[in-house]
Amino acid sequence: MGTSPRLPSPMPVAPPVLGWATGSGAERSWLSFSMEEDEFFGEKTFQHCCAEFIRHSQQIGDGWEWRTLKDSSEGYMCKTHFQIKSETLMSHSGTSACVQTCLPIEEALELPLDDSEVTETTTGSQVIKYEYHVLYSCSYQVPVLYFRASFLDGRPLALKDIWEGIHECYKTRLLQEPWDAITQQEHPILGQPFFVLHPCKTDEFMTPVLKNSQKINRSVNYITSWLSVVGPVVGLNLPLSYARAASEDE
Amino acid sequence: MRQEDISEIWFEYEGTPLKWHYPIGLLFDLLASSSALPWNITVHFKSFPEKDLLHCPSKDAIEAHFMSCVKEADALKHKSQVINEMQKKDHKQLWMGLQNDRFDQFWAINRKLMEYPAEENGFRYIPFRIYQTTTERPFIQKLFRPVAADGQLHTLGDLLKDVCPSAVAPEDGEKKNQVMIHGIEPMLETPLQWLSEHLSYPDNFLHISIIPQPTD
Repeated sequence: MGTSPRLPSPMPVAPPVLGWATGSGAERSWLSFSMEEDEFFGEKTFQHCCAEFIRHSQQIGDGWEWRTLKDSSEGYMCKTHFQIKSETLMSHSGTSACVQTCLPIEEALELPLDDSEVTETTTGSQVIKYEYHVLYSCSYQVPVLYFRASFLDGRPLALKDIWEGIHECYKTRLLQEPWDAITQQEHPILGQPFFVLHPCKTDEFMTPVLKNSQKINRSVNYITSWLSVVGPVVGLNLPLSYARAASEDE
Repeated sequence: MRQEDISEIWFEYEGTPLKWHYPIGLLFDLLASSSALPWNITVHFKSFPEKDLLHCPSKDAIEAHFMSCVKEADALKHKSQVINEMQKKDHKQLWMGLQNDRFDQFWAINRKLMEYPAEENGFRYIPFRIYQTTTERPFIQKLFRPVAADGQLHTLGDLLKDVCPSAVAPEDGEKKNQVMIHGIEPMLETPLQWLSEHLSYPDNFLHISIIPQPTD
């Protein structure tokens, strides 16, 4: 038996709002699942939120899928998409800047050729395959975003290439907060190298979101809210219809 | 070799790239436990296997990975309360003690990560990972409490039955596998809490290898 330092008492879980758990034939809120589990956001709740999320993804053709593990109830959510990465030199009033633009393929094909304002020279373009996986971390009891990018020939992109694709406003934040850092880690199910946004601060930014939604009595899907915060940092955007779908689920 | 031909170093044993972020003892137990020491591995300077291995750009990467494991272990044991209460210099001391093989320096900090409140009988959950070369998954890690609802201490056998039942032979069946930690096979009756306090690796995880019983 060890000596006992007086540990601070555990953080209280947000009190359940009873009006949510019941509904006129509507599906159970994620909160009522978590009341059954010992945790605030347990694995069952995670799976339920992902199922709702994927349902909407299927409705709008956004490409998210669920993958189950063989002989197990565990699984994760994943999406693959392709982007054209082109390097262009843009001349603007005499100054030139090197700009990398990442465009979804659909938009790239419709890009108008407009020479009136800038002079562009395309030096090369390549198709990049991005894979995003949403897994559940039982250690931190939050979802975690894993991602990787490769060229079509299989060559993976290095962190510095991925870093270049991240929007400026996120770069500052990531550099200041090392625990929001992107690091390379082993995917716990596939065993292959992926980049990961560190999960230990997820709880900090999700708690106010959830508290507020309770206050204004409007339901949210934890996965939708979480992914809308972390996704854009690494080039993954969610159409607004996900948010509307989440509030309609009750 | 010419300087320009040399790229990132990596290690391999019998065709398997070795994951630098795993403890060396774990790698040995998992891949070569029946071979005699010293362990002969191959060093490569070319053709880094991008799909299999994490890059290791510097010693800082190793420190970052180690600390990340320590933090995850504390998230399981203490909801991160003990590790978060420590100062940055304590975290640094943990790493430096390990790096410089100074046990007392390491243990001065790590012993705090091995404590638990007097009113409890152990940690909240036990940090463990179970490795088998025969499965696709790199390891199994789940939430598992050291103490049952009735207050009984869970054993190593209880853990295996719950998360990896195929590893344990049926009671009257023949023993198919060895359950190995640090090169030894602890008795399955050993309390998991005790194993976590005394047989964890420096990262505070119990790294458990399930390997086929050697035939000799």
